[in-house]
Amino acid sequence: MSKYIYKASKIFMYLILIFTIIISIFPVLWVFMSAFKTNAQIFNDPFSLPESFNISGFQYVLGNYNFGLYLKNSLIVSLISTIVSVVIYSMAGYVFAKFDFPFKNMLYSLFIITLLVPAQAKAQPIFSLLTNLKLTNSLTGLTFVYVSLGMAMSMFILRNAFESIPDELNEAASIEGASFWQKFWKINFPLAKNGVVTSGILMFLTNWNEYFFASLLTSSEKVRTLPVALQFFNESFSYDYTQLFSALSIVILPGIIIYTVAQDRVQQSFASSGVKG
Amino acid sequence: MNLKKVSKLKRNDFKWIYLFLLPSILVFVLFNLIPIVTVGVTAFTEWNGFALPSFNGLENFTNLFANRAFWVSTKNLLLWSFLAAVVHVGFGVIIAFILYEKPAGWKFTRSVFMIPNIISGAAWAVIFRFMFDNRMGLFNGIVRIFNPNFDVQWLTVSPYAFWSVTLTWLFFAVIVTLIVLNELLAIPSSLIEAAEIDGATKWQIIFKIQLPMSRKAIGTSVIASITARVTMYEAIALTTNGGPGYDTMNLPLMLVDSITNLKYGTANAVGLLMIVYGIVTLLVVNKLFKMNEEL
Repeated sequence: MSKYIYKASKIFMYLILIFTIIISIFPVLWVFMSAFKTNAQIFNDPFSLPESFNISGFQYVLGNYNFGLYLKNSLIVSLISTIVSVVIYSMAGYVFAKFDFPFKNMLYSLFIITLLVPAQAKAQPIFSLLTNLKLTNSLTGLTFVYVSLGMAMSMFILRNAFESIPDELNEAASIEGASFWQKFWKINFPLAKNGVVTSGILMFLTNWNEYFFASLLTSSEKVRTLPVALQFFNESFSYDYTQLFSALSIVILPGIIIYTVAQDRVQQSFASSGVKG
Repeated sequence: MNLKKVSKLKRNDFKWIYLFLLPSILVFVLFNLIPIVTVGVTAFTEWNGFALPSFNGLENFTNLFANRAFWVSTKNLLLWSFLAAVVHVGFGVIIAFILYEKPAGWKFTRSVFMIPNIISGAAWAVIFRFMFDNRMGLFNGIVRIFNPNFDVQWLTVSPYAFWSVTLTWLFFAVIVTLIVLNELLAIPSSLIEAAEIDGATKWQIIFKIQLPMSRKAIGTSVIASITARVTMYEAIALTTNGGPGYDTMNLPLMLVDSITNLKYGTANAVGLLMIVYGIVTLLVVNKLFKMNEEL
């Protein structure tokens, strides 16, 4: 009897796993396959493989829309905000991990408690702040906002990373006459590599994918990022689905590539993003 | 404070310490402190962004309470929070327990389960918009294999629109799975072996050892998933945009709408409600899951 229950539960378990795999892969696969199909094929056999390697959709999208520009904007904003964040939050995480100073705990708690406030709830003040600084509709403004969004999470990850480095290294370096900056940049920062990469990947992917603030704070095409551009494809490609799916493929590909290359890191980053509470 | 450490510090070091903190303090003040105070204060004012805000007491809130869009948003938020806490987290936990057993293909499953979270929310929303399309969508394509006459406009007809938006996130719980799996793997295997030797069944081990010991991870997941419902934006803005009628309306959509219409007081009243809802959730879940206690 218990043998049957065991078998049944095993089958049930695999059914759930298969369900999970299908719902995770199928939407993306459908997009990639449809990008190579003609409109008629997309309508008539949604499940079939493309008959030929038809890249006209990609050619059209890349040739007729400012796709290169959107791609460049997205890259600039995500890369710069990630680099700036990693450096400035490493500096903060380092002093929180290695030194005692007045108001340390209060300051750290204040930084971390910002996790409780959803960024969207602060949309109006941030919008007005950028308007006053004449930074709406600019990549610089968006970069500042993205740097700010990652503060608490990055600082949390980075402080932990620096705390795991033994204090003796700094003591030895002090005897050798290393300056404060040298101790940080030459000794501790390279050793905190794990935390730096984890928070860096998390920041980059979050900013690469960000839509809410990008759509609120930018309007002109010159500074449009890829996720916002999607909104416009939504309207302009209503009848040519080959082009639509080509555009979608281009938007989702970079994330998938990063994930394929650095799978464990990405999983680690996302797991730590959940451990906010 | 560790006095020995402090006495070793030179005055020069303090200068460096505050210099290192300066950028973060600036970010905190400009993008957190000032905005949060602004939201908290101007939620009780009438403000169009040009003139100075003028206090109007609770008028923004009474106006919201008189607005049907707000009630539907609240109802949606409550229902979505419930679904997030029960179905979304529940599904993620089940997958974590299955992966813990390391069945064939568990690594592959864990890898691909991540894909929906890697893709931008905007792209995911657009993908779903077309999956739910009546003519070319995958969804009706599958149903029509069994019922060729099936004809439903998922995104534009009540009540299907609400459930279409729900399906964009309901089962995509990889973060829950990752957090809970980490916690499960951290349970000492000697504890489980001892229980097995004492004759505990698989179910007893799950309900008496593994679930109670991973309750912090589960509680964290519940908080994170509900918070994600409070802030959900592109999954709605790029599919139904709140419609049909107010069917899929939510607070961020109302907030953006208020900013666009220069009703800054209203926008911040909505923002304040979002913050309060998040904090109440945190406190309640902390209590329910006894997250601050050791068992």
